[in-house]
Order: sequence, then structure tokens, then C-alpha cells
Amino acid sequence: MNRNIAPDFTKAQKIDLVFPQKIELENGIQLFWLNETQDDTVKLDISWDAGSKYQNKALVASFTNALLLSGSPDLNAHQISDKIDFQGGFISHDVDKDNGGITLYGLNNKISDIFSVFSTAFNQAVFPESEVNKLIDIRKNGFNISMEKVSTLCRQSFNKNVFGDETGYGKVAQLDDFNKVNQQDIVDFYNTFYLKSKPTLFLVGQVDDDFINELKKWSSKMGTTTPTCPPQNFKQTKGRVEIKKEDAIQSAIRIGRLMIQKNHKDYYKFQILNTILGGYFGSRLMANIREDKGYTYGIGSGLSVLDDSAYFFISTEVAKDVTESTITEIYNEINRLKNEYITKNELEKVKNYLLGEFLRHADGPIAMMENFKNIFFNNLSEDYYTDFIHAVNDVTPQQLKDLANKYWDKNEFLEVIAG
Amino acid sequence: MIKYNTFTLKNGLKVIHHHDKTTPMVVVNTIYNVGARDEDENRTGFAHLFEHLMFGGSKNIENYDAPLQLAGGECNAFTNNDITNYYNTLPAENLETALWLESDRMLELAFTPKSLEVQRQVVIEEFKQRYLNQPYGDVWLQFRPLIYKKHPYQWATIGKNIQHIEEASMDDVKAFFFKHYGPQNATLVIGGNVDFELVQSLVKKWYDDIPSRERYIRNITPEPKQTKERRITIERKVPSNAIYLAFRMGSRLTHDHYLGDLTSDVLSGGKSSRLYESLVKNKKLFTDISAYILGGWEDGIFLINGNLMENIDVETAESAIWDEINLLINQSITENELTKVKNKFQTAKAFQEQSLLNRVMNIAMFDLMGKLDEINNENEIYNQISVKELMDFSKRTFKKSNTSVLTIKAIK
Repeated sequence: MNRNIAPDFTKAQKIDLVFPQKIELENGIQLFWLNETQDDTVKLDISWDAGSKYQNKALVASFTNALLLSGSPDLNAHQISDKIDFQGGFISHDVDKDNGGITLYGLNNKISDIFSVFSTAFNQAVFPESEVNKLIDIRKNGFNISMEKVSTLCRQSFNKNVFGDETGYGKVAQLDDFNKVNQQDIVDFYNTFYLKSKPTLFLVGQVDDDFINELKKWSSKMGTTTPTCPPQNFKQTKGRVEIKKEDAIQSAIRIGRLMIQKNHKDYYKFQILNTILGGYFGSRLMANIREDKGYTYGIGSGLSVLDDSAYFFISTEVAKDVTESTITEIYNEINRLKNEYITKNELEKVKNYLLGEFLRHADGPIAMMENFKNIFFNNLSEDYYTDFIHAVNDVTPQQLKDLANKYWDKNEFLEVIAG
Repeated sequence: MIKYNTFTLKNGLKVIHHHDKTTPMVVVNTIYNVGARDEDENRTGFAHLFEHLMFGGSKNIENYDAPLQLAGGECNAFTNNDITNYYNTLPAENLETALWLESDRMLELAFTPKSLEVQRQVVIEEFKQRYLNQPYGDVWLQFRPLIYKKHPYQWATIGKNIQHIEEASMDDVKAFFFKHYGPQNATLVIGGNVDFELVQSLVKKWYDDIPSRERYIRNITPEPKQTKERRITIERKVPSNAIYLAFRMGSRLTHDHYLGDLTSDVLSGGKSSRLYESLVKNKKLFTDISAYILGGWEDGIFLINGNLMENIDVETAESAIWDEINLLINQSITENELTKVKNKFQTAKAFQEQSLLNRVMNIAMFDLMGKLDEINNENEIYNQISVKELMDFSKRTFKKSNTSVLTIKAIK
């Protein structure tokens, strides 16, 4: 045994993906079901096209989503929660720019009871005014707290400037918006985007046929339309935007630009390029700005892909006095990727790391369902992951250098600094 | 049900194997019996600083991350007041890569001046980012010394004072390493799609020659029983007033842990819980409030903390919390509430145990607590808890003389 020599290792060649079976419920509603689980857990995601891009007033999508189970003619919010809690159930409310939904978690001997409380409360939701007002108080306080963080200030401004503040994606809520949300807005949003619209269901767990039949019955009461939102004309700001926060001791930095989506031919290889720059612990940005200079606790880059657009970003928080040096180093690292070929060793490391990531993300049925949801929501083919792995195996230093030059023109970047 | 096999090497390293044939991965987890509680009060933050230095190269291997990433792996670590835990997740076929790396840093770190210098700086930025540049971020730096007067739980894992990190010398760092990071002070847990024989032979190959070092005998003076209420008020530029109530209770190793856990769920586990219903929704005193336990291995804390609605003063808020506590003591909780929190625990545990990494970490924690044989008994322990036991717990825990209060006054 020689401790100076690394043991042999093998490279992950393929991942065994398991896709869910598709079941057609009523009204054209689809259920995707994975039942190859090892235990008694059941997770049911129900998702609608009810994200914030559909709202015509700030905050309405997120308030509607949060209050879906806040009261029906027979049960108040407390009774609904109490009944679900009593069955050992957990509920999470999820809303982003594109989708809104609810996830139910429970054990398989209780899931039917949990679902029945959910469906009764959901289908007859009344959104009591007291619950709306309470949520306004709670959210306002949370908003005020998060606005004290340079990371939030930076992210918000970046979001606004990367999409343009007239677009559904780019609009950012202000404190005053909390005083404008009202019960009627929420009821309207609920009627149009939840009750009358078609949800999609994702189920992981061993359940019996009776439960599938319950889902079928419920789907017959749901709407059939697929909502549309007005077209968004994205217009990104270029150059620097600064947000002052006098008492801050660190600055938050976010640099990026509008970017290609997952079905673009460059996507896989750009994702590899992104990994090299800032997508993992051994990335160029981490190696330089954290591990060599000690400027930050962490720095990273990534792609955020939405239904109608996508952006690339680099993000970090650094000591105030090294803000400019950090930005200089970020561009140095970008330029190195534009001007020099990546070495064989580094490319090998990134490839193998990414293949390991695919395996980590395919571990267990819930992870498998997340992979499938990625394919489903982004309208990708079932070969997406296989193709991605091929791209990782095949990518060349020349291709990466070309992509860096194609997408990383400093003049095209938006730089936001808060601090 | 979590199954496992154990063996121990001559140098004192305990090894636990957990077989899962359904995963393509393996997790290699090393838990060291060292946390912030083992630090000298004039040299705090060392266990956490080590979490950073452990990735800065070892005796025979210049860089920890690169070879692991080359083998498709990923790693991370965390430190708390009691323990430090390092873990690697990688394709099961590449188990040996992780053992090679982990064993070499147990043998000896590289101790390069550059690594110490940079990681000191990184930790200082971490300190700023997490504790100073966040609203309410420094609460625990202020609160711990109020609750603990003697015990090392009085400082946070980042350290009581960032100067301790700034002044850390190479000699200090080396001494801390040789005192705490030997095989006699660790448990190695390997879980995933690898069989026992392979684990045994590879672990022997890479760890057998690591010398056992002198066994560190922990000798911490227990925190004396609290006899009167303690208070501190701090003024900060934050959006709203806040209040923190801490009650001393039994440690993670005592039955109090389970009683405290269920009691905290009755008070604040989900939207049907008491504090949310009464203080957030009905009385409109708080925008959020939560109760939870800090399961320290030497001493426990039951904590209630909330952010106040605008224009509500802290006295009103505090007395409303005490009203809820008195209800708990005088009228007890209902059978219905108890069943509810037990059912929720079962669901949460089932979901938590789906993850291989969680199972492996749990094994490591239970082993270091000296409770490995209890790892599969938790549902049973929770199920047997009665309303009467919870009531007794509340009576002996929620006393003014056992309370520390921190209030934050928001200033413009």
C-alpha cells in the first residue's frame, strides 16, 4: 500500500432511471405514479399552472397558494390542520414563478384520510378575511426582515433587472403591495387558476387501488383548462446596478445574463462549462476566491431555468473592502475559460464529478420522481438524462472554450452589488 | 429498521457497516468525538476551524477534494457543540477512494501555513455572513453566555470571539489535531451498496497502520442548577421586537429529550399547535413563534422564540407565553394532542430514514452517544410516553427560576 498513489476507481457509465407510470384520471388530468418504494411513506404532489407570472397584482399567487387550506364552509383553518396533523400528515405549499401546488406527505395507512381532508378543504376553500389579514401581517414582517439582508436586496434587484420589471418574471413585490392584497383577488385567482384549471399529480409510494380511485373521483370535479399568461418581453439591463446599505459589513454580488433553456442544443455543454466555473466545490471560482484569497465563505454559479426564459448567474457575499477585487477575479476566471483550453485532468475531474451527481440525484424513488418532473415541466424527451450523460462523456476543451466565448461577453452582463 | 454490523481495529477505531442493496451509492462517514465543548475557553472556535482545515490536504495527499471529485464523489462536514462529522457520498464501486482520503487525514494533516492562513480568513467571512450581517444573527452569541456560566456550551461553535480564530497559531492547531483526531476518538460508518467482507478488508488496508494516540478523557464541569431567572435586553436595528425564552432541561442522553421533543411539538409543531393558534392567530401578538429543543449531549435547553407584531411590547408578549405554559402545567394536554404529535413523529421519521445519508449519520450519532442498540427503539420510546409524564416534565422545567430571557428591542 502506498498512500501517495490513489486507488483505482471506475467511472459511472449509466444511471438506471425508473420513470413513473402514467394514469389518465378524469377530465384529461394525468397522474404519474412510482410505487417501487421500500417503506410505508407516500408523497403526493399536485401542481397547477398557478405561479406568480399569472397574477395581475403582486403577491396574489403566493397568498392564494398559502391559504388554500385556510377554511371551508364547515371547517376553519385550525380544524383542517388539526385533522391532517392527527393523521400524522404533513403539507407543504409550493409556489414559484410558473407553478403553484400542494404536497401531501403521510404513511400509506393514513394517506387516504389525509387526502380526504385536503380535498374537502381545497374544493370548498372560502379564504376567510381574518386569515388573509393574518397572513399579510406575517408576510410583511418576514419581508421586512429579509430586506435587511444584502443577499435578498441583491437577488431582488438582479431578478428585476435581468427580466425587466414590466414582465411577470421581473416584477418584485414592495412593502406597499402587502396593503393592497385582498380577499376578492385571492378568490378570483383560486377560481381561475386552481378550480377551473387542470392540475397534474405526482405520486410516490405504495397505495392501493382504492386510493387511485379516490384521486380519479376528485379529478372529475376539477377544471379542464390550461391557463395562458400574457407574453413577456424580456429586456435585460446591462452593466452595473448598485444598492447601498450603509450598515452592511459584507456586500452581496450577483453577475449574470439571460440564458438558453434546457431544450437548446448548447444546454448540456454550457452546464458543464458552468460546473467548471462555479458549479461545485472544486470550481475555479471557489478555488480562487475562497480557497486561495479567502475573500468569501462561498461563491458559486448556476443556471436558473423557467418555463419562458432562463438566466445564468454568479453569486457571492464578500467583505466590503474586497468587493472590487472579487469582481476582477470573477472576470479573470471567465476570461481564462475564454482564452485557454481546460486541461485534460481538470476536465476529467469535472466529468466524473457530474456523472457522480447524476447517480446521487437518482438515488431513491422520490429523487427519481424529481428527475421525471424536470423532464415533464421542461417538455424534454425521456432521453434527456441519457443524452446529458453522452454530452458529459463527449465534450471537448475546444467546445467549452467556444461556448465561453459565445455566452460570456462582459458587455452582455448585468452586475448587481448590494452592500 | 436500520441494520448494521460492527468491528473494531486494534488502534481503537470503531467501524460500523450498514448494507443497502437498493442504492448505487456508498456513504463514508467519520464522526469525531470532539466539539466546541472540548475547546479551551481562550481558544474557542477550533473544532469548527478544523472542519475547514481538514479539507486543506493531508500528509500524503496534497488536496482532498480533487481525487474525490475525480471518483465521482462529494463531501461535506458539520461541527456542533458536541461532535464533528465528516461525510463522503460516491458511487459504491469507488469506496476505496474515500477510505484512502479519510484515512490519510486521520493519520496526519498537511498543516501548510497557506491553508491555515486562508481558512482563518474564510471562517472570519463565515462569521460575518452568518452572525453579523443578518438581522438577529448574533442572538446566540449573546444568549449562550447568559444560559451557561460555567459549561463550554456558553460559546457558539464559530467561537466566542473571532479574535480566537485570528490568533490561531500552527502550534495550537497541531496540538488540537493530535489530541482529538485519532482513531481511538472516532467512529467510521460505511453504508450503501457494499458488502461486509469488502468493507472489512478495505478498512483494514487503509486504517490498520494509523497509530492509536493518547485517549482524551473529557473532564467538563457540569453547569450548576439554575436558581433564579436571568435576563438580558439588547437593542438592534431590526424590523421587529423579538423574545427568546430558554429553560434548562435534561440532555440528549436522558429521557427528558423525548419528553421535551413532544412537548415542543404540542406547543408549535404545525399550524394546529397551541402557540400558533393562540398567540399568532387569536391574540395577534406574534408574527411567528416556535418552540424546540436544543439536544446538547451534556445539558439540554427548551426554547421558545417569537417575533412580535408591530406595536406589541415585549412584556405583553412574554406574559402571554407564560399563560400558555401555565395551561400546559395546570390543565395538561389532551390524549388527542398526544396522539397527534406521536403520529407526526412517525411520519417524519419514516421520511427521514429514506435517505441513506441520514441513516448513516444517525448510526454515527447513536454510536457516539453510546446508544447504538437504541437506534431502532425511538418509535417505541415516543409511543410509550403518557400525558402524565409530559405534565411532570412541564412542571419541573417551566419555572421562572429555571428561565433565561433574551429580548431584542428594535431601534431605527
